[in-house]
Amino acid sequence: MRFLMTTQGDAEPDEKMLAEMGAFIEEMARAGVLLATGGLEPGGVRITSSGGEITVTDGPFTEAKEAIVSFALIEARSREEAVELARRFWKIVGDGVGHVQQVFGPDLDPRQG
Amino acid sequence: MTSWDAHRAVDAVWKLEAARIVAGLVRMTGDVGLAEELAQDALLAALERWPESGVPENPGAWLMAVAKRRAVDRLRRDERLDRRHEQLAHELATRRHPLDGDEDLDAALGAVDGEVGDDVLRLMFISCHPVLSTESRVALTLRLVGGLRTDEIARAFLVSEPTVAQRIVRAKRTLAAERIPFEVPEGPDRASRLSSVLEVVYLIFNEGYAATSGDDWTRPSLGLEALRLGRVLAGLAPGEAEVHGLVALMELQQSRSAARTGPSGEPVQLHEQNRGRWDQLLIRRGFASLLRAREAGGPLGPYVLQAAIAACHAGARTAEETDWGRIAALYEALVRVLPTPVVRLNQAVAVAMARGPREGLALADALTAEPAMKGYHLLPVVRGDLLSRLGRHDEARAEFERAAALTRNVPERAILLARASASAASASPAGPAGAAADAAPRAAADAAATVRTGPPAVAAVPARTGVTLAAAVRAFLDRPVLNEETVRSYGQTMTRLRRHLGDDVILTEVTADEIGAAFVAAWGTAAAATWNRHRAAVRSFAAWAAGPERGWAADDLAARLDRRPEPRGRTRPMGRRQVEALLERGEVPLRERTLWTLLYESAATAESVLALNVEDLDLSGRYGRVSARTADSAHRAGNDGNGGGVGERRVRWQSGAARLLPGLVAGRRQGPLFLADRRPGPARTPAAGDLCSHTGRGRLSYERAEYLFKRATRELDPEGNGYTLRLLRHSRLAHLGEDGWSAGMLRDLSGHESVRTLAPYVRSR
Repeated sequence: MRFLMTTQGDAEPDEKMLAEMGAFIEEMARAGVLLATGGLEPGGVRITSSGGEITVTDGPFTEAKEAIVSFALIEARSREEAVELARRFWKIVGDGVGHVQQVFGPDLDPRQG
Repeated sequence: MTSWDAHRAVDAVWKLEAARIVAGLVRMTGDVGLAEELAQDALLAALERWPESGVPENPGAWLMAVAKRRAVDRLRRDERLDRRHEQLAHELATRRHPLDGDEDLDAALGAVDGEVGDDVLRLMFISCHPVLSTESRVALTLRLVGGLRTDEIARAFLVSEPTVAQRIVRAKRTLAAERIPFEVPEGPDRASRLSSVLEVVYLIFNEGYAATSGDDWTRPSLGLEALRLGRVLAGLAPGEAEVHGLVALMELQQSRSAARTGPSGEPVQLHEQNRGRWDQLLIRRGFASLLRAREAGGPLGPYVLQAAIAACHAGARTAEETDWGRIAALYEALVRVLPTPVVRLNQAVAVAMARGPREGLALADALTAEPAMKGYHLLPVVRGDLLSRLGRHDEARAEFERAAALTRNVPERAILLARASASAASASPAGPAGAAADAAPRAAADAAATVRTGPPAVAAVPARTGVTLAAAVRAFLDRPVLNEETVRSYGQTMTRLRRHLGDDVILTEVTADEIGAAFVAAWGTAAAATWNRHRAAVRSFAAWAAGPERGWAADDLAARLDRRPEPRGRTRPMGRRQVEALLERGEVPLRERTLWTLLYESAATAESVLALNVEDLDLSGRYGRVSARTADSAHRAGNDGNGGGVGERRVRWQSGAARLLPGLVAGRRQGPLFLADRRPGPARTPAAGDLCSHTGRGRLSYERAEYLFKRATRELDPEGNGYTLRLLRHSRLAHLGEDGWSAGMLRDLSGHESVRTLAPYVRSR
């Protein structure tokens, strides 16, 4: 089962946290859990489609706290395992908000149930 | 948190931590069995406490602390602590910083903690130790390194839970008995031990890969489990090219998992797969691993080469762009390090794609003499394909027919039969395709073949018009004459048939053989009563569809479906898994285990097996000679389908008995193979031929053997009496019949005199 873990917010990481995070990421990768990870630029470009019209708006946007700033794509054996990994992640990060969502990839084609 | 949620949370933590905890405990105790027991204790403690207290801050450390504490208690109780402490101190002293005298075990372990990763690697090496059977290696690895529960392993491998538990128990016992050290081997051993680890991981992967989406979910997830084990291994042994090669191979194969089955679960050939459904993330990871393998250096091993071949496919955006020249070159290198018949067959395919069917066929033809290829349906498939591309349609037809007879996959068989008849049509001058092919010069046929894309695979049957199976079934069930109960019952049958044959097949093109094959696949293992019920439904449907007002069926579709005699009472065979569990049972003495295994594998009578003498065994040839005089009267002289001399017949066994027999023979040179427990009393001296000169004991009697078997199977028998020895032979014949053995083959194996007696075992095709 694949899960996408995302974090929101605008907190600046300090050096200690970066080091701990680096070690954690390496451990997850070595355990065969972490498939891909990365940080996201704040804001980015917003695309709005309405009535056939596409509007492109450049950031930054006001609600910076809710913007997704990083993600990790993991391969876990169960939802509980994904949640456990998220717990370990947040223990390093400290305060903040994030999500864990299962990813339905080509592996889980709705046609195949 | 409900206790259910807590259990799942504990299970998740456990799977993440199991390898490290068990590995640490093996280091501490020097005993895999004890370590696993202690780890289970810690897991139980978590299951007890976490639902109330919540998951602790650092669950891994919590589990490890509990486990260590119990280990110390246990070692102290067994008065093993001091000894173990000394051993550990000695190991540490010789490896790194020496210990001061007063440092205790915890400190010693603290010093070892830095090597947790190495311990996990050691755990992998010991779980995959060649002294263990392959099944045990797989079970132990999934259990200790993967943290899987016994029931999860059992479900994934479609065996019973006790069977898996037994494999694990036996493995732990063997490791202890053989005093296998907990270490990463160095020197000349290292390569072969590492390849044993890789083999186990790849085996687990393939077990998952072979499972399709229709199966239990745990089987496909085995592939991911293996991938995970491989990635862990690559992190622990980054200098080993073959480890990265294996990971690359698995990532690349896994990347195609969504594309390799169609909507109804049918396999889709590589060149026909929708490449848009390939997982690009895994492909990139596969390429990265392959790069690491190259960086690690050394000669190219089998996994690196296979991964490189997989990478050629993964890198081609369309099937047409596949670089067959490179693939053929890689296969040539692979054949040098892994010259198995299957690899050579794949090489033939690649060479045919790269350089034309004639060269490919030459390589494939060289394989026909290989004993290992005898029952392998892909050899005739490949040869048939290459022959038809060379315009040799008559020979191609024969190959497709042979392949159809060999495959056990129903949709594949149907497609192969269609290819056979297409070849037949091409071969006859009347066929339009045949005329074209005949007119075409050889060179042109070769050229046409080389531009064809993809490996030789089963061609699509051309679409035609007519009533489809689905439409016919709907009309059949929609008749007012049927009552509700009948509609439901017939509906079940027809749904299964539609699933096997496909909704869109045109009914006039369906043959009785295809129906027969689909029937065997669906209900071949079902009880006779079930078989007969479904048969009745198909007969009714066939008669209706072929009726004059419809004429939808070309054939009597039910022609291949023979009514099965419905067995009464005890003649019902044992299930395969029941037999397997019985033969694997831990407490069974060697003599009984060997006797039962031999009886089952040979399908011989108990009389002839008990009559076996040590001097008449050919252990490497896996058979024993029984003279007809000593065997029961059912196999008199002259019945000799096995090539033995007149007046004797052969009892043939397979790998299970072959493994057990040397232990039972135990150096004896002559006399009865199966001996009685005690020496005979003076009043009952048996004939000289029934007496063992080594031990003075007599031959095991039929009555005693029967009694022991009945006692052992009492709880399996629904009637509570226990089974007779005869049932092993009966079950074996039934199982082989299900596997498609013909009556003649069964006779040769079992020594039945008449083929007719064997008819009930043989399935219609």
